[in-house]
Amino acid sequence: MTTLRDALLDLIAAEALIDRAKLAPSATLADLGLDSVGVVSIVFAVEDKYGVEIPEDAFNDAPDLDGFLGRIEAIIQTREAA
Amino acid sequence: MTRDTRRIVVTGVGAVSALGHGVAANWTAAREGRGAIAPHDFDPGPNGPAAHTTPAALIAGDLVGPLEAALGRKIGASLDPFALLALAPAHEALAQAGLIGHPDLEHRTALVLGHGFAGIHTLEASYERFYGQKAARLHPLTVPKVMVSAPVSAVAMEFKIRGPVFAVSSACASSAHAIAQGAGFIASGACDIAVVGGSEAIATPGCLRGWEGLGAITASTCRPFSAGRDGMAIGEGGAIMVLEALDHAQARGATIRAEYGGAGLSSDAFHWTQPSLDGPVSAMRAALAATALAPDATVLISAHGTGTPLNDKNEAAAIRAVFGDRAKDHPVIATKSAHGHVIGAAAALQGVIGLMALTERIAPPILGWQGADPECDLNLVLNPGQPIAAEALLLNAFAFGGLNTALVFRRWG
Repeated sequence: MTTLRDALLDLIAAEALIDRAKLAPSATLADLGLDSVGVVSIVFAVEDKYGVEIPEDAFNDAPDLDGFLGRIEAIIQTREAA
Repeated sequence: MTRDTRRIVVTGVGAVSALGHGVAANWTAAREGRGAIAPHDFDPGPNGPAAHTTPAALIAGDLVGPLEAALGRKIGASLDPFALLALAPAHEALAQAGLIGHPDLEHRTALVLGHGFAGIHTLEASYERFYGQKAARLHPLTVPKVMVSAPVSAVAMEFKIRGPVFAVSSACASSAHAIAQGAGFIASGACDIAVVGGSEAIATPGCLRGWEGLGAITASTCRPFSAGRDGMAIGEGGAIMVLEALDHAQARGATIRAEYGGAGLSSDAFHWTQPSLDGPVSAMRAALAATALAPDATVLISAHGTGTPLNDKNEAAAIRAVFGDRAKDHPVIATKSAHGHVIGAAAALQGVIGLMALTERIAPPILGWQGADPECDLNLVLNPGQPIAAEALLLNAFAFGGLNTALVFRRWG
């Protein structure tokens, strides 16, 4: 079964046109070439797919991809639990 | 506009439409009389009125996957369909011309594309999200996907074209103006190469309702110059030509497909939707004069031929006014009956198909024919098409708002 983390990595790879194999947990958003438009594009795709609302500034200080995904997962799981 | 002393030739062509992906597929379908206009359901979704069936010519198959394979990189959802419909034929045309990666694309090349609309699929989806779903935020790429210059920027970035790059718009004549403008850059000596053409993707539920409101859309299919014709069918597509100075093309050993003769451009300054006789006549005369054909030359006429009652009657009268007693010496084709009216891309797509006809010496048939209309008495090429001995192609594109263009290309060799 595909985990939420896998699904999010697939979504990021498709939305930000990044090779899935390069999405290492320790990579920073800058390492991945994600500028503000790239980040908002991902946020937008997550909102569309999971029906959640994510503040635009939720990721400004995310240390790395792992942290970034952790925050998205928390928002999705909070909504699913509600 | 008259062509200056510098001769201009076509060294590459590309096309994608409902007839197929690539010039070969488009030409084969047109030549064999396999049209692509069919009824389609257009559903505006839960916030709009009920789904509505409209005849249209839509792209079949995936655009992104083959383009990503051809370009060797990911595109994803970063471009509206109208930009994809420019990028794909631009790649085909530049590859055919042997210009991909060529250093002259950097500084001696112009890129001018025509579009009657812009990123309508993206715009309509955004509005549905905003007004329909009440979503507060729109996708961050909405503006770059919608803007009318998105296709030229996408093509310029892809192929590193760094000369004059911009979009032009004149409704159904847009890509003819783009071709004339690009040729002007070569004629003036400012550039050696001009990548020209256009693209259009407007088959959305909202946009088609706009066209239907105008009363311009057929209830069945596009039947140019035929008795019982009742309107046009919208198509989606894009087409590109690589124009090049003859001396430049010969110096690098390029294969020459046709010679650009000249353009005639005029405006009716009269009415939004009613055509005038004088405007199309003066455009055709100017294009023919710029090309200086022999008086007895046979010309293949690719008519604007939308299939609306008014356009076809007026265009037939204009052709008769231009050619007089010899009007019926010149075969007339109307390929919108096969690929639909691709609006801003129409002249470029009809140009690419017309150049194939000129080269192969075969005129593709007008489809949807139901019988003669005495007011459209021309040498119409009907099913199954016919061999031709034309020395030149006269390509008409007349736009709502009274903007007229005619282009002439000479057969090469």
